[in-house]
Amino acid sequence: MAGIRLHVISSLVLVAVGKCARDPSVYVRKSAANALPKLYDLRLEEHTSAIEEIVGILLNDQSPGVVGAAAAAFASICPSNFSLIERNYRRLCEILPDVEEWGQIILIGILLRFVIARHGLVEESIMFFLHSTKSGKSEKDGEASKISNKEDTGYGSKNDDFGLGADVSGNIDLEFSNMVSRCYIEGPDEYLSRLSYANTGPSELNVAQFTSGKSNDDVKILLQCTSPLLWSHNSAVVLAAAGVHWIMAPMENVKKIVKPLLFLLRSSNASKYVVLCNIQVFAKAMPSLFAPHFEDFFICSSDSYQIKTLKLEILSSIVTESTISFVFKEFQDYIRDPDRRFAADTVAAIGLCSQRLPDTATTCLEGLLALTRQEFLSSDFGSVDGEAGVLIQAIMSIQSIIKQDPPSHEKVIIQLIRSLDSVKVPAARAIIIWMVGEYSSLGETIPRTLSTVLKYLAWHFTSEALETKLQILNSIVKVLLCAEGQDIQSFKRVLNYVLELAECDLNYDVRDRARFLRKILSSNLDSQGLEEETIILSPNKDLAYVLSGHIFGAQTKSSSPEPINYRFYLPGSLSQIVLHAAPGYEPLPKPCSLLRDDNLDQGTNGLERARNSDSFDTDETDSLSGSLDEEGASDYGSEHSISGSNVSGGSNETGSASEGDDNTDPLIQISDVGNAFENQLGVSHSGSADLGELISKRALESWLDDQPNSSNTSTSEQSQVRISTARISIGDIRHQVKSKSYTLLDPANGNGLKVDYSFSSEVSTISPHLVSVEVFFKNCSSETMSDILLEDEESNKDSNSADQTLVATDSSLTSHNNVPILVPIEEITYLEPGQTAKRIIQVRFHHHLLPLKLALSYNGNNLPVKLRPDIGYFVKPLPMNIEAFTDKESRLPGMFEYVRSCTFTDHIGELNKDKGDNLVVKDNFLVICQCLALKMLGNANLFLVSVDMPVSTNLDDASGLRLRFSSEILSNSIPCLITITVEGKCNDPLQVSVKVNCEETVFGLNLLNRVVNFLAESSLSPL
Amino acid sequence: MLQCIFLLSDSGEVMLEKQLTGHRVDRSICDWFWEQAISQGDSFKLQPVIASPTHYLFQVVREGITFLACTQVEMPPLMAIEFLCRVADVLSDYLGGLNEDVIKDNFVIVYELLDEMIDNGFPLTTEPNILREMIAQPNIVSKVLSVVTGNSSNVSETLPGATASCVPWRTSDPKYANNEVYVDLVEEMDATINRDGVLVKCEIYGEVQVNSHLSGLPDLTLSFANPSILDDVRFHPCVRFRPWESHQILSFVPPDGQFKLMSYRVKKLKSTPIYVKPQLTSDAGTCRVNVMVGIRIDPGKTIDSITIQFKLPPCILSADLTSNHGTVNILTNKTCSWSIGRIPKDKAPSMSGTFVLETGLERLHVFPTFQVSFRIMGVALSGLQIDKLDLKNLPNRPYKGFRALTRAGEFEVRS
Repeated sequence: MAGIRLHVISSLVLVAVGKCARDPSVYVRKSAANALPKLYDLRLEEHTSAIEEIVGILLNDQSPGVVGAAAAAFASICPSNFSLIERNYRRLCEILPDVEEWGQIILIGILLRFVIARHGLVEESIMFFLHSTKSGKSEKDGEASKISNKEDTGYGSKNDDFGLGADVSGNIDLEFSNMVSRCYIEGPDEYLSRLSYANTGPSELNVAQFTSGKSNDDVKILLQCTSPLLWSHNSAVVLAAAGVHWIMAPMENVKKIVKPLLFLLRSSNASKYVVLCNIQVFAKAMPSLFAPHFEDFFICSSDSYQIKTLKLEILSSIVTESTISFVFKEFQDYIRDPDRRFAADTVAAIGLCSQRLPDTATTCLEGLLALTRQEFLSSDFGSVDGEAGVLIQAIMSIQSIIKQDPPSHEKVIIQLIRSLDSVKVPAARAIIIWMVGEYSSLGETIPRTLSTVLKYLAWHFTSEALETKLQILNSIVKVLLCAEGQDIQSFKRVLNYVLELAECDLNYDVRDRARFLRKILSSNLDSQGLEEETIILSPNKDLAYVLSGHIFGAQTKSSSPEPINYRFYLPGSLSQIVLHAAPGYEPLPKPCSLLRDDNLDQGTNGLERARNSDSFDTDETDSLSGSLDEEGASDYGSEHSISGSNVSGGSNETGSASEGDDNTDPLIQISDVGNAFENQLGVSHSGSADLGELISKRALESWLDDQPNSSNTSTSEQSQVRISTARISIGDIRHQVKSKSYTLLDPANGNGLKVDYSFSSEVSTISPHLVSVEVFFKNCSSETMSDILLEDEESNKDSNSADQTLVATDSSLTSHNNVPILVPIEEITYLEPGQTAKRIIQVRFHHHLLPLKLALSYNGNNLPVKLRPDIGYFVKPLPMNIEAFTDKESRLPGMFEYVRSCTFTDHIGELNKDKGDNLVVKDNFLVICQCLALKMLGNANLFLVSVDMPVSTNLDDASGLRLRFSSEILSNSIPCLITITVEGKCNDPLQVSVKVNCEETVFGLNLLNRVVNFLAESSLSPL
Repeated sequence: MLQCIFLLSDSGEVMLEKQLTGHRVDRSICDWFWEQAISQGDSFKLQPVIASPTHYLFQVVREGITFLACTQVEMPPLMAIEFLCRVADVLSDYLGGLNEDVIKDNFVIVYELLDEMIDNGFPLTTEPNILREMIAQPNIVSKVLSVVTGNSSNVSETLPGATASCVPWRTSDPKYANNEVYVDLVEEMDATINRDGVLVKCEIYGEVQVNSHLSGLPDLTLSFANPSILDDVRFHPCVRFRPWESHQILSFVPPDGQFKLMSYRVKKLKSTPIYVKPQLTSDAGTCRVNVMVGIRIDPGKTIDSITIQFKLPPCILSADLTSNHGTVNILTNKTCSWSIGRIPKDKAPSMSGTFVLETGLERLHVFPTFQVSFRIMGVALSGLQIDKLDLKNLPNRPYKGFRALTRAGEFEVRS
């Protein structure tokens, strides 16, 4: 009955469900549990608490069948209400193996989240290992002091105790898995965005967030109860259980998941792909796990192409010294596979393998060279596309191997150069020629062969493909620049010849390149014969060298394969497969975010202790945080004794706000009423509430603790250099905002009446569909004007009487139909010459892009005018804090996110003006922030949420500056978030990328376009 | 949670649409899907998870029928895929095969099944035995009945008792005149032999299938003589984990009828029962092929239905193949199949012939992979042996039967 989606009966249904939830029959209770999500789906706020209560009752049920259904209901209704789980945790774990399979999947996920939220990560697990190694010794010490007797030795002795464990850990790709674990907890979008402006990702998980898997019963019981599920015949259950073990299990037990996962590969083709995607991440983080099972990733001819590539990638990441020979044998077979795309991938995989294991490089090279020799036999015909692909890939792999250690592979290069004659594929030729240029001065033999090679190239120049021609030009220049001795003469002649040929080429790219090179090298070429040796020192030549170096640098990058993607989601999630956060994806909860009231538990105890130690010993917290930048920050802070509450840096790490709340937050506030440039930057002590939220958000960032008033601006700069990221709040910037005005009626058309309008930021009180517009009437003529009235064209047709218009608009307002309406203004009876009158009209636009037709009547005349909407004012400011912002943002990923970039130049003028005007040097960042914020607020009705500053050693580099704005769409109150990220140097035009997150796709896109447009259009002075 | 399930025929027609939640999914998603499938070819059809502009799609293809599920929110993808596989299994079990016609003929049943299997996007009852109790299988009698009585529903009136019991997979109280239980070992051999004739990988994937017709609530215990050879196992939900962990004994209350008790894997086998030796030599635009097949190790029982299949590489224009035993067919999609049947005692079967290569091509540089299939009745090649099967809680002595069968799984010989 709950399936009847009627709001009217829902309360009745709720009562019925509540009754059924206490029914003696299992089946009835189960059905009740099934009905709950349907009820919840109706989104009736008043029922939510009642529904959650029923979920709690059902979770408490004795029958496994009911619990399974209740788990599903829990997951869809209140996935973060952990108090419901807390009551029954132990029983839920015990009942888990008996729950029906579909319920198991959900329940495992819930329990995992709960344990993380409650106890934090397990310290013997992979996840922990990474953190501890990264943050170095100080953390080890801290740990020893914190975790009671048995456990502190645990860490030190771990390497001894588990011989294998140590062995295994040595093989772990630390960087990589560190990233994985971070992503699990924070969600990759957030994590990556932080990485982009704070390059040194501060290590952030405190030891207190970890708990011991051995001593903590809750963790132990979860692991125990999920391990039999690895034998389930439902592949989804196995993967979910494996995910729990991957995250929670002690290192030496993670092996357990390997076999079941590999067994899953034997199930249906579709699930094979999903499982492989997950194994790929596991294998990259911990290659040793799967290394002994490399045979399972050998390819079957029946596999689909996607599966083949995945398997290749896994193989190349788990291969070891001992297994490489078997793997190469397999690869040799694959190269002969009829699917040439796959063969090309195999060749690329060989390249990857040899990069991982440098010892095998020679073997790989031999194999690849043999391959290129074989391939050109067939590629002579050029008939098969695939062949070309294989060949190119082979040469690219060779190139990447050589790049690692050029001197030892000299012979290979020579062999390749010899094969130029037979290699016909343009791209492959281009790469070989690139190598000629790049390694021209390497070793003994290559320089001697050069003149022959160059002559050969010049000879063939006209018959080459475009790509190759360009590369020949580049290479010859490079060779010339590196050459010494008598060869230069002959090289110059060759170059001259080629340049002449190129200048007559059919393709304009080649001609351009030739002219460009000739210009750059002109001094070089002209001076032919006059001076020879001294020319090396000429600046022109240096420039040319640098330039060509640049050109080639770029090409090298593009050709090297970079298959690693940096987005990781929880194992077994949909997002991991599609590689973006699907709507509804939630990363693991913050470790230990859930605290128990009775802190008898060991994990909580440790945490408590950690907190205590933090509070009385600032130094220790700093050493704990272990990151270089922050120590400086807090030292500095205490020096200047701003608030003395610098502990925040350290205590933040506990992730709890309880202590942080007392701290005062010294934010920079630009109190800029009137004159913003007088540096009235005060310290605000009002941000404590903010701080609490901010702390839990970005636990380890340190805060800008300085007081940059005019007396010590120099120190403020200094401190900014030290601190990794700062957030400033720009105060009342709205006062400076001046919105743009548009012309509605030109005096030339309107017999001297000039009508301008500008959008106002006021929100209409009448209806959310109305936009307020300020209209200025100015009489530019010499006569008095009378009876000026602006009204809707449609209603105007009906009748000219203002009264009726009013009635018409009123009715249309109430009926909410789509007729554009205009809340009428008072008639301006007289307007003297030169006089200006201002009226505010409220308009309802049809559409946020199409102009609205209005009729302007004055002096008895009627003039049609068009009011153009500005999408920037179809939103209203939505005040929120940074935490709410990021939270919302993370819920609007993928399809709801659009990014465009543009150049922003406004600040340059501002900066220059400063130099002249102010004696005190203003901070460049502040100026840029202000310009950007003003521009944004001046053109759209937004709320400025936060400004994040990058603080790099280079004061001139504005990259990473980030402004966040929030707003909601007027008509339907859908939030719309805008993030602006800046890249570039302070004094140059900045590259600004604008990101809009909005559920209303069309609106979001249009808004984005609008924002980009007005940011890009330069105004002389925004103030 | 899943929002909608579509069944598409192999021509892209939407045969069946089942909306699961209040958020309706428009059919146009199928059009989008099919357009992509056409434009991107086969590789798209094999992609199990697809992110379309509006929804995430999961697809499972069985016998030309595409099972498509849509969702808009995060959910475990394997859950969706596994569910679709179950649906496909149940349907083919009910309808005796899967194809377009049979689904169209039995719309009612398919809808009823889906109704029971999934509710509000969350899988409900997927155990085939229980489903069979709730929804009668289609047969002639029921068809006649429904025509005569005009009652088209074949959903049973009463709830299956099992839903309330502690063993949800077993019907409440079945009664049989003669109690029987059959245990079958069905094994598939996966092997890869590389170009040098070396056995790269050889393993057995096996299933223990049980067909039980037992009255009451019996408790069965199955033990193996050599459980240590099992590399990895997976169980039906009815198997109790504890006894397996401690003694490697399978203890379970069986569902009624046919079910898969356990699947297992035995790795690193040393040899295969038959050998296949392909030889390809190419010269001057033609390629000579010779494939020899013979018995390597006699498993003690006859090996039958031997077939060898391979795909001709695209650079081959024409092929001329003959064999001294069995028949050779070249199918339209350039697949060549040689069915041998049993290997005769007096001679070793061989196939030989020539390929004509594309003009200009001197030598063959890509080589096909030969896929071998065979079947051996009465032998479990892994060597797994059932020690004994104990039954408790039974009124009279039941009949116990054991069988074994091995067939080739992914048995590949590269040339």
